Amino acid sequence: MAKEPLLSARDIEIEFSLRGKILKAIRKCSLDLYEGETLAIVGESGSGKSVFTKSFLGMLDANGSITGGSIVYDGVDISKYKTEKEWLTIRGKKISMVMQDPMTSLNPLKKIGKQIQESIELCQGIKGEEAKKLSIEMLKKVGIPDPERRANQYPHEFSGGMRQRVVIAIAVACRPQILICDEPTTALDVTIQAQILDLIRALQRELNMTVIYITHDLGVVANVADRVAVMYAGQIVEYGLVNEIFYDAWHPYTWALLSSLPQLGVKGEDLPTIDGTPPNLFYEVKGDAFAPRNQQALAIDFEEEPPFFDVTSTHKAKTWYLDPRAPKIEQPKSIKMLREKMRK
Amino acid sequence: MSEREKLIEIKDLQITFGGGRKKFVAVDHVNIDIYKGETFSLVGESGSGKTTIGRAITRINPVSAGEILFKGKRISGKISKELDLEVIKKCQMIFQDPMASLNERAKVDYIVSEGLINHHLYKDEDDRKRKVEYALREVGLLPEFASRFPHEFSGGQRQRIGIARALIMEPEFVVADEPISALDVSIRAQVLNLLNRLKSSRGLTYLFIAHDLSVVRFISDRIAVIHKGRIVELAEAEELFLHPLHPYTKALLSAVPIPDPELEKKKQLVVYDPSIHDYSTNKPIWEEILPGHFIYGNEKELDQYRREIEAK
Repeated sequence: MAKEPLLSARDIEIEFSLRGKILKAIRKCSLDLYEGETLAIVGESGSGKSVFTKSFLGMLDANGSITGGSIVYDGVDISKYKTEKEWLTIRGKKISMVMQDPMTSLNPLKKIGKQIQESIELCQGIKGEEAKKLSIEMLKKVGIPDPERRANQYPHEFSGGMRQRVVIAIAVACRPQILICDEPTTALDVTIQAQILDLIRALQRELNMTVIYITHDLGVVANVADRVAVMYAGQIVEYGLVNEIFYDAWHPYTWALLSSLPQLGVKGEDLPTIDGTPPNLFYEVKGDAFAPRNQQALAIDFEEEPPFFDVTSTHKAKTWYLDPRAPKIEQPKSIKMLREKMRK
Repeated sequence: MSEREKLIEIKDLQITFGGGRKKFVAVDHVNIDIYKGETFSLVGESGSGKTTIGRAITRINPVSAGEILFKGKRISGKISKELDLEVIKKCQMIFQDPMASLNERAKVDYIVSEGLINHHLYKDEDDRKRKVEYALREVGLLPEFASRFPHEFSGGQRQRIGIARALIMEPEFVVADEPISALDVSIRAQVLNLLNRLKSSRGLTYLFIAHDLSVVRFISDRIAVIHKGRIVELAEAEELFLHPLHPYTKALLSAVPIPDPELEKKKQLVVYDPSIHDYSTNKPIWEEILPGHFIYGNEKELDQYRREIEAK
């Protein structure tokens, strides 16, 4: 990938102050985003995947701030933005976000059409009737039947899947370059989920967007992603093309995530689980953050933080297993089996 | 398979909400037998009535027609006080959202033993404490957690508290209403293992309600697919996944995300269109098309399904 990244986050550190203590939510996290691709970020709750991407939009909670690193977008380091005014040049217009729960992300007191119109008026400078027409067009684009009538309805008259379509319409109304989808389908049914994923894919093609998915559902990842980044305890621990992550993962945390999938389970046997809990980020993490939960951890995992090692030119993993000096460690059987098993 | 003991029998169940002109039929013509010791799953989209059936068995929702039998005794409609108490003890429920289902103001000790307290099912204070401790240990929590409040726990631990609360009543039948949908991937596996372990150690029977088919395949013995309050197909888990017949089952299965990028990207999504069923002249029936494999359809459709089976 010799291409220039569209957005490039370097060594981002994000801290929250909570009851007088400092919580390091993101610890030196780097990410390159290339134009037109779909990147999925996976990890368990609390791994910082939402916080990390929210920092691209300046949407961190009031007690959180970016304390180090840079986010270069369009030649400007947006991590240095301080005022809301600066952020508003990016937020919604260039980078947009779809939140997890469609039940809470719409204003229940405003008509659907008005809510989309608001977003159009704000960023495109069109007012009144014309914006209204555009908002109806957006509704049609996201596959809502009878858009003229539906635009005059309130969110409670919409089902969950339809609401998520409206939220997507608002997010893409200003034709952003980057769309961040934060667990867009977690609150939805499987059949609806498949439809929403299809919709996002169609819009991505039509509007030429770059999409970041945040999810913990590896099935969704397999469906949508070109590239995958795995996050654990505020860091990206492994990233690569989607096939490389699914068929040839190297970080023990990725192994654990993949092998705990119920789809791979054998009936009557226990599923492999990840014991323990993620590290407390109020304290300094020593070595590899996953080491205490990893039964095959090396001695050095507890001492020193591993750097990224190349698996291929596109696939990197942050684990000492890949160091030439490390004892030879095989990928667990379940990872090797993954491919065969899925074929059945 | 007729020798197996039927724990729950549901006969022509109908559940309606509201009355008069606003009457809404949530569940209609449901016939299920749940055998002792099995995990029976109900899958369907939201609003299909799967939770309503679970709630009807635990006597939370009243039944408007048909009946539910527990060990051969009718437990729907008006029943005696003694039987009511037995149902409360023997049929317990685990709820979906561990964040919402625990009383925020009560300590774990009270939450877990509330059922005991309400029905005076303990000899003395020591006995109650012992039971709470035992239930907590069984779900993998420490007994000292009893003096804490729910907000001090993570989602997975809270769900374990919810399971302990059901277990303390020593149930035989547990309705698990989407017990893992609200949990993280890594914790899902732990809770699934726990449910499976309890099933064998306590001899439990589960009614597992879910919309996530990937989980259902792993945990269930038999699966029923429900659509708009009607069961459209029922079969052994593997049979249903390998040879789905009803178009709705096919659509549902095609929507399940597979954690394999190559397969997933080639996958064809099947969309279910309920208008393909023409039931105006030819009334549909609930037919056992293969041993243990039931399907809902009219004569013409059944013929077509039979041809499909033969073609395989």
